[in-house]
Amino acid sequence: MSHIAAITAQSSSQDNLYQQTAETYGSAIERLARAYEANPDARRDLVQDIHIALWRSFAGFDQRCSLRTWIYRVAHNAATSYVIKQRRARSQALVGLEELENLSDANSGQQVADRDRALDQLLNLIQQLKPLDRQVILSYLEGLDAASIGEITGLSPGNVATKIHRIKSILTRRFHAGGQDEQ
Amino acid sequence: MSNESPNPNMKELWQCQTLEGIKMSTEEIRKRATKFERKIMWRNVREYVATAIAVALFVSFFITGHDSLFRLACALMIAGLAYMAYQLHHRASARSMPANLGATNSLQFHRTELERQLDFVRHIWRWYLGPMVPGLMAFSVASIVGGHNNPWRAALVNSLFALCLILVWRLNAYEARCLERRIDELAKVAAD
Repeated sequence: MSHIAAITAQSSSQDNLYQQTAETYGSAIERLARAYEANPDARRDLVQDIHIALWRSFAGFDQRCSLRTWIYRVAHNAATSYVIKQRRARSQALVGLEELENLSDANSGQQVADRDRALDQLLNLIQQLKPLDRQVILSYLEGLDAASIGEITGLSPGNVATKIHRIKSILTRRFHAGGQDEQ
Repeated sequence: MSNESPNPNMKELWQCQTLEGIKMSTEEIRKRATKFERKIMWRNVREYVATAIAVALFVSFFITGHDSLFRLACALMIAGLAYMAYQLHHRASARSMPANLGATNSLQFHRTELERQLDFVRHIWRWYLGPMVPGLMAFSVASIVGGHNNPWRAALVNSLFALCLILVWRLNAYEARCLERRIDELAKVAAD
């Protein structure tokens, strides 16, 4: 195969992978961006940045990990890079799951009557977290299993298990007590 | 390990939220990627142009100056600026997102990004502030020896310069300590 043909083939495979990803994971990417940026305009930019990062990354996708792991790694890493930059600009203090678990919450135990309010509270909780903990909770909410979360984040299985246990405890404490989301 | 949740509806709540449905065609992606690369290139160009203007200014002072100490100060400033521009390009020029984001897990990626920033702020004295000091000192000596300035005024100006340098250095030292703490936290998480 000539050099130009090889480049064309690679470019076409890059485009195909991207289209496939945008189709299958577009909503997950948008949800992920929501957890990293509250401002709608900035969030749109972040979603587009993640899409560009994904498209660029597919030129080097070597299938050493699954496509799903690759996509989540790229999306989380692009978002983390965004958080690092924003953190310098906004000097926002982020907490870990451990600290969040110990923090008293004004809404704890209250009934969360409607879904929008519950979602706002959930987003608010996620946006307080440090990037790595945020990635674990997001992956958990996206329905990924512990092994996949470990592969994406680089955390050991034991560590992922502990963090998931904490997440469950935090979610139960904050959204339980008869709210319709927990029935 | 089971990942089953006592909060199945939290997952449902999360996954069923209303979204905007942002979509981008590959054509649009290409255009935006090119635009982004161009933006980064121009940001770097602006940095080099600013340095080039400063260098040109000191070159003109060097050519028109008659005092040898003053000319030495100009030469030291030019050398300092050139060294700083090289280091800025080497260490800290604006760059696009790495292409291999998917090959690195989040823990490694986060740590590498923080270490890159730490390297930048920790050695700021060596590559950003330090190279300017010989030139600034030579200017002070030239102005005092040449009698162009009131010695008190010269001392005041020099003290202000020194204060600015120390302030920038201390702010970066503080930033370095914060980054170190965050890197240590990640190292601890990785070791668990």
